[in-house]
Amino acid sequence: MNNKLNVKDLINVGIFSAIYFVMFFISGMTGFVPIFAVIFPAILSILGGIPFMLFLTKTRKFGMITIMGILMGILTFLMGQSWIAIITGFVCGLFADWIYKAGKYASWKHILSSYCIFSLWVIGSMLPMWVMKDAFFAGVRAGQGAEFTDALLAYINSRVLLGIIVLTVLCAVAGAFLGRGILKKHFKRAGIV
Amino acid sequence: MKAQLFQSASVHTQIRLDPRTKLYLLLAVNVIMLNSNTVGTSAYIKALLAVIPFLLLLTSRRRNGAVCFAIFYLAAQCGRIFLYNQTTGVADIIIRMLIELMLRFVPGMTLGYYMLSTTRVGEFLAAMERIHLTQKLTIPLSVMFRFLPTIAEEYRSIRDAMRMRGIAGIFGKNPSAALEYRMVPLMMSIVKIGNELSAAALTRGLGSPVKRTNICKIGFCVWDAVFSLMATASAVSYLLLT
Repeated sequence: MNNKLNVKDLINVGIFSAIYFVMFFISGMTGFVPIFAVIFPAILSILGGIPFMLFLTKTRKFGMITIMGILMGILTFLMGQSWIAIITGFVCGLFADWIYKAGKYASWKHILSSYCIFSLWVIGSMLPMWVMKDAFFAGVRAGQGAEFTDALLAYINSRVLLGIIVLTVLCAVAGAFLGRGILKKHFKRAGIV
Repeated sequence: MKAQLFQSASVHTQIRLDPRTKLYLLLAVNVIMLNSNTVGTSAYIKALLAVIPFLLLLTSRRRNGAVCFAIFYLAAQCGRIFLYNQTTGVADIIIRMLIELMLRFVPGMTLGYYMLSTTRVGEFLAAMERIHLTQKLTIPLSVMFRFLPTIAEEYRSIRDAMRMRGIAGIFGKNPSAALEYRMVPLMMSIVKIGNELSAAALTRGLGSPVKRTNICKIGFCVWDAVFSLMATASAVSYLLLT
């Protein structure tokens, strides 16, 4: 089998990136409600499961998931979010590619963990919130006193970020099962897979 | 909203910037605005940098957008000056959080909107080719922009079909069915259109090793220099002063 990416593969990447991006947009819409802004990666990983599982059935070559990750990063950058997402998109996509390849492009366990890793790219667009935390709380400290600030900071610190990562991975598992279920129920029967 | 992003018809702007300049401006604003320092002179530099998206929207016949952005940004600045430390405890934190988020993200998002709404797909691709981005990225990227309006259109048809069969109302009760009924037909038709698209693209020689030509003329002019200098000057002074 020819392992180089040809035009058909690249077009497939584009199509599924577009569908996945629509899912990103829908889950981003819910982010206007403040509490949802924190858990929107989790919503995305549930919604994105269906297109991603279908995408993986069309992928038998190394590099396609990486390209999708970079595309997501570029697109969120073009929409004015942080450029860090391009890097996380690349890294997460690359790891997801490796895992998928290690499973010979067929093993369900590898597919599952591949999707979990890929879903984490979206953390990159939120990362500035944590990076800029210190400067933000310097202002709070000046206004509210150190004791209160330290208590709050201890609460917010990495624990929330870790919580988001865990939640995202859990939802990615749910999304992957949902995607596989729908794939079995509809697409196999229709002869698309 | 989707339909007007990256359209293929030409866009009227009084100041025509090269896509590469737009990307550069976006990067500069993005990096500086999201940087954490907000005290002293750096706050003024950030405010100065926020003028760029305003000017660009104003000169590209998007006066409403420009005014909305200005009101929004000025309100956030006023909030930063007057509202901080007016309340205590959690309320103050929430107010600060909202205002800081607005100050940081709104200029970048506005510039992103400008970029997407005033650049044609062809122009964007020509610029990407000039900076020697690999075809492995430009082809999926262009397919993606070509597909976003198609998805919206297909989705509208599916919704109409569901309404005609009288199954549009059940979704409050059963969200997973809602997802399934919408996603499955959508993806079926998208995959089918995608196959047709790749056949069409191959027929037109997309996969051939020959260098492709592009009808769009892009190039730098005076305004590119002006805006790039503005962004560069802000970035350099920001780095030197903090």
